[in-house]
Amino acid sequence: MKDKIDLSLTKSLLRKQWIESSYHYKSGHFIGFLFRLLIAAAFVTVFVVFFGKFAKIYTAIKTNNILSIEERVIELITIVYTALIIGMTIGAMNQINRDIFGADDIKLFAAMPVSLKSLYLSKLISIYLSQLLYAVIAVLAINLSLTAYAPLGKIFYITTAAIVLLLPLITIALGSVLALPFHLIKRGLNRHFVLNFIVVTAITGILFYAYMLILSAVKELLIGESLKYFFNEQIMTGIATVCEYLYPAKWIAFFLLGKNVITSGIGILSVLIVCLVISMIIIRSILTSSLQSRISGTNRFIKRKGDIAMKSDSFWSLVKKEFLLIFRTPSYMFSYFSVAVIMPIMVYTSMSIGSSLVLRLIGLKCNLELALFLTLLFSSLTNVFCATNISRDGAMFYSVKALPVSYKKVFLSKIFLCMVVTVLSQLASAAALYLTGYLTWRLAFLIFVIGCIFSFVYICIATRYDFNHAQFSSDDGEINESGAVIVIVVMGLLVSFVVGGAVFGSRILLLLNSVDYSFLSYIIAGVAAVVFAVLAYMYFIYKLKKRYYEFEGGQL
Amino acid sequence: MEQLKVESKEVLKVENLSKKYSKKADYAVHNMSFSCFEGEIVGLLGHNGAGKSTTLKCIEGMIPFEQGVISICGHDIKSAPLAAKAEMGFVTDNHAVFVKMTGIEYLTFMADVYKVPSKVRKERVEMLEGVFKLGDAVGNLISSYSHGMRQKICMMGSLIHMPKLWILDEPMTGLDPRTMRAVQDFMHGYVESGNCIIFSSHALGVVSKLCDRVVLIRKGKQIFSLDVKEMMRNNPNFDFEEYFLLSENEGMGEYR
Repeated sequence: MKDKIDLSLTKSLLRKQWIESSYHYKSGHFIGFLFRLLIAAAFVTVFVVFFGKFAKIYTAIKTNNILSIEERVIELITIVYTALIIGMTIGAMNQINRDIFGADDIKLFAAMPVSLKSLYLSKLISIYLSQLLYAVIAVLAINLSLTAYAPLGKIFYITTAAIVLLLPLITIALGSVLALPFHLIKRGLNRHFVLNFIVVTAITGILFYAYMLILSAVKELLIGESLKYFFNEQIMTGIATVCEYLYPAKWIAFFLLGKNVITSGIGILSVLIVCLVISMIIIRSILTSSLQSRISGTNRFIKRKGDIAMKSDSFWSLVKKEFLLIFRTPSYMFSYFSVAVIMPIMVYTSMSIGSSLVLRLIGLKCNLELALFLTLLFSSLTNVFCATNISRDGAMFYSVKALPVSYKKVFLSKIFLCMVVTVLSQLASAAALYLTGYLTWRLAFLIFVIGCIFSFVYICIATRYDFNHAQFSSDDGEINESGAVIVIVVMGLLVSFVVGGAVFGSRILLLLNSVDYSFLSYIIAGVAAVVFAVLAYMYFIYKLKKRYYEFEGGQL
Repeated sequence: MEQLKVESKEVLKVENLSKKYSKKADYAVHNMSFSCFEGEIVGLLGHNGAGKSTTLKCIEGMIPFEQGVISICGHDIKSAPLAAKAEMGFVTDNHAVFVKMTGIEYLTFMADVYKVPSKVRKERVEMLEGVFKLGDAVGNLISSYSHGMRQKICMMGSLIHMPKLWILDEPMTGLDPRTMRAVQDFMHGYVESGNCIIFSSHALGVVSKLCDRVVLIRKGKQIFSLDVKEMMRNNPNFDFEEYFLLSENEGMGEYR
């Protein structure tokens, strides 16, 4: 039978994918969706404001004493769209890996009379629609910022609409080329947990540090208004030279501005056609390869057998079980261990930007207060992972319930592991702040203690909340999101802002009144820590034994 | 059998067990009463959704129950849960196991939880490997195991401490014929050592072949408790399958 595209089947497959995607917007996940929407809106707003300001300064720069706004706009669009294409390509690559290599429905379709072409088309359309959404948000944000500060004709709006539709096709094609090698590298790393941890943590740490360096540089340039002086003749010549080679972003820039429309249009279409052809060939082969690998089963990990270990207390066995579950699941490992390792970098880099910003804005040095705020903020984000402490266990939570281990040991093992991770992370953060001179050793120790106490608060509340609202996966699937996560994120942010704000506010108020009474910051932070810790502990243990033995949750 | 019961200690006692999953729902299990003694294999038989797994989960302490008493080796599952659970080993119907562990790590975990002494661990693992034949796969991650292999490691983990009461929920599903035979032989030998096994199934052939006694469940209610071996001793032509189907057709009432 010829493998034809069955449009009704394609439609059914698309409907299935929509139902699966829209699940996240229903009931308990709706809050998460709203929260993500708010974060995205905030991010776009910040980008529009800063990019607009940057565009205003950049388009006013003269080269050889000549003002050429059009050339500046072309350069700006070329560079920004190059970054956008890179970002969207990475997104498309991840999506192709997830929807084709990682999709569970592939196993089912392999045994069904489903046309490969129909399956491929439905997956491709689904990926395109996702990419289209990103393109709409990104392109509108960039182009609207430009229209505010650069004179652009009506054609710009028409060409913007065309680019929004065409850009995802280019990025999907490029993403599909990278998807297979990325999948092979990821699969290779996933077999070596320690190496995977080191590589992922190192890459994330470097990316975060680079991001903060850029942020710091941009802050210096914008606030210090030294941007104009940074873009001298040499720099501008370099930018113009680089932009000459940034295809297809350069063609996109010309096309958007209605300049050499035919040439640039043909260029974009050529890239599109070549990319689409390559994409169709590669995605089809990826799909076939994925189908075959799903049929034959996952690769076995061949290890040395080893002997059964000597006796140890069941508590340590439970702790080890928790550790292995996290460490050997790449997504968990990244969400928790890697983030905990990177937290000191986050705190330090934020401190370096924040302290100079505070000093410049209000003329006061508030390192302790700022360090406290940042520690509370980042430790809440780090410990968000604890909001799946129970849900992660899945069906095994019931099996552990049937074992001769007390409920105290079950919960304590989870809390203990989380505390070990957070204490080490807090120690590194405090050490970083001390060694870089932002805090004395006494203040660094205070930040460490306060950070640990608040981490205990977050862990207790997150764990108990998850226990009360557990959502188990029906198979060995990973739990990366739950209603508890959003609640804990919001709670953590509130606590950080309230306590951090109170400490900050009191210090500034006193300093402005020429009272250098820093002891108040210690008192506020210390009292808040103790009060929150007691409340969190009481919430955690409230009817815990009864609820544990009567537990029937998880919606398995 | 009566003499056996008099001499054998009671390992499991279920008295008037009733369980509802929600206040508005019907009883998943209603007024269930039976006992299991040393040296016997008891089968819980019933159609899908009859209440077999629910009964076993209540015995294992996985889920709470509204009414009744369950005691294992004299320890009440509610008032002395740790002591009761230490006397049993279980295999669930979904063969839930820690997939991020290797087989040997899982066995170590179970041995630690059940406080198996260090000096007997190695020989016990070797004995279990001899029965279930996982081979070198025991050193691999359980996530790489097939369905049958997961079942095997689950069984090995549940036996690491040689429990007095071994509970199995649909144990034969997914096993290859050779392993099925090995497990059945093991079960016979296991109860001869003075232990007790209770398992659920809807496979009449397996139940009639293995069990000393069968408890039939329908819609959460206990229909009968039948001493299969005694019936066969008294009546060589006794056909358990026919008896079961007849009882289903006649719509036998409550426990007799």
